[in-house]
Amino acid sequence: MNSSISRKNSTTYKIYDRYKKLIIAFLLIIFLFVLGEIIVSNFLSLGQILLTIKLASFIALFGLCQMVVIASGNSSLDLSVGYTATMTAVFTASIMDGKNENLWMAVLIAIGLGVAVGFVNGVLTSYFRLPALVVTLAMANILQGIINVYTAGRNITGKPSPILRIMAAKSTSIFPNILFILIIGATIVMIILYKTKWGLMLFGVGSNETTAYLSGVNVKLVRCIAFIIGGVIASLIGLLLIGNMGIAFKDMGSNYVLPSIAAVVIGGVSLSGGDGNYIGVILGAIFLQTLSNLLVALGWGDAGKWLGYGTLLFILLIIYVGNRRNR
Amino acid sequence: MKKNSNALGISNLKKFILKPEFSIVIMLVIMLVIAAVLQKNFFEIKSVVRNINAYAPLILLTMGQAVVIISGGLDLSAGTSLSLLTCVLATVMKRNDPVTGIYAILITFAVAVFIGVINGIGIGYLRIPPVIASFATSFIWLGVALFLRPTPGGESVGWFKSFYNISDVAGVPVFLKTFGTFVPPALILVICGCIVWFIMSKTRTGRYIYAVGSNSDSAYMSGINTAKAQMVACIINAFFIFLAALFFVGQNQSGDARLGDPLTLRAIAAAVVGGIALSGGRGSVYFALIGALILSLVSKIIFFANIPNAYQTLVSGVIVIIAIAGSMIYTFYSKRTLLKGEKKIT
Repeated sequence: MNSSISRKNSTTYKIYDRYKKLIIAFLLIIFLFVLGEIIVSNFLSLGQILLTIKLASFIALFGLCQMVVIASGNSSLDLSVGYTATMTAVFTASIMDGKNENLWMAVLIAIGLGVAVGFVNGVLTSYFRLPALVVTLAMANILQGIINVYTAGRNITGKPSPILRIMAAKSTSIFPNILFILIIGATIVMIILYKTKWGLMLFGVGSNETTAYLSGVNVKLVRCIAFIIGGVIASLIGLLLIGNMGIAFKDMGSNYVLPSIAAVVIGGVSLSGGDGNYIGVILGAIFLQTLSNLLVALGWGDAGKWLGYGTLLFILLIIYVGNRRNR
Repeated sequence: MKKNSNALGISNLKKFILKPEFSIVIMLVIMLVIAAVLQKNFFEIKSVVRNINAYAPLILLTMGQAVVIISGGLDLSAGTSLSLLTCVLATVMKRNDPVTGIYAILITFAVAVFIGVINGIGIGYLRIPPVIASFATSFIWLGVALFLRPTPGGESVGWFKSFYNISDVAGVPVFLKTFGTFVPPALILVICGCIVWFIMSKTRTGRYIYAVGSNSDSAYMSGINTAKAQMVACIINAFFIFLAALFFVGQNQSGDARLGDPLTLRAIAAAVVGGIALSGGRGSVYFALIGALILSLVSKIIFFANIPNAYQTLVSGVIVIIAIAGSMIYTFYSKRTLLKGEKKIT
């Protein structure tokens, strides 16, 4: 009895307890790489790892929007991130037209679209008290409809500006540039979430809205802002996506929605809100990309990818969410 | 004294009008009138049969979804499980061997029960938030469906057409054919679902589903096996989806892994229009049927307004948001007015 208490109070145990989920995620990645090396040869090379990280960066960035929304609590998720990004990419393609001087215009449009989408999502969920999943799913439908209407009579023309190409697709020596963007983005977000008043308010609202309300926090406004931030980030990712692909097409962002949520869950972020560790989300994204690489190498294709993602998400939900709510 | 009784009469009328059921029926009547004005032969038997065929899948999915929502859950995997069931049907059946049709139905029924059990275990026993649990399982079903049918296709036995149109099947006696022109098989499927729910709602478990939905904790404290009730709700939902899958394979003679995707959201919206509270525990499954009818008629009216095909997704998304937000606001205000009225009377 005594020894177990002292064991729980020891520093090593505390550190272990705090970073348990990060360690699990990290071990899972290593396990997948070893498994890949055994089954498919030439899986574990530096080039392969860097390529995986580059592809995982997009999942991680989408995971960032998702994490901010999830942290605001009330079991919110944003299912419209994929089509928000697609819409930005499709709309800004013809505006940029491959010229750097038009980039500021594209960025302004991206921010405007992101704010608009996030505002509608946020108002409907926080002020009208509608379930976030239904609202954002319907929003995804609406955005898809807008894209369909826009592209109905014409081709999607235009190219990304060269700066975006350099940022998203090219690499400096061996490191892909998107990695630096991810690191800068992660740093900014971590500072905002952990060192500013707003971040504290966000986590407070997420973990216990009554307490937050009684401490004088405008709960509805904070939730609304979380959705707006999610929308803006998703919209800006749309610019990076078109920078990476070189062209815009109808379904470029919709495949990232499930991985972004799965990455957040694997990263150990509680889906009931109130916490958020972006490092975990990045690890989760890398894990998912490695898994998808492995399944592609095995020749299982699309079906295997969705089956793998879905099963994994379900199992992790059982492990992380299920046991905590035992009666 | 006289004044008082008069006020009571008016407030009773007000109460009646403010009941959600009343507004739903009125909405249905308005939609029917508009549709009848726009389409000249709306009430002819042929077009009634055609309309029932067009609306049946959404009605079935909505009723299933309504059961889950009443039990306090939400099923985002309804669309993909429908796709999976059609894929299973089309994979098991061989065109030249009529017996395989029976095997296919049995196997698909087992798969449907399995889908319900898995969703039920996740939502009920493991207590994962229902929306996220069914979101995760929806991708499992999608993956399996893509394994079976990477592209739409598959085979179907000839007599399976009887789930869509009896007179298409070769070698059917004449009286059955005439019966089929008046009573479409889709209607029989819907009635089947209604009967199953009618029997279920009379049992103890059926009552438990409402209790769990309205307050899970107090239901648990009263000794109700909440997890089992939620699991039963999920299995009933899977049964409704199974009926819809029979209809689709009868219609298309093939399986499609992407068939059900747009139906998930429409079914949720239709249930909300039919007065099912998303918070659970309130509403009637039969009114969900009316909600599905209203939503289908709205699409029909839009179709008559000659909107180009590209606008379809956009319009349906907007309708869903307006329908959900509108019915939420309506329930909010009618509840408040009712409370006010009661206070005045006492």
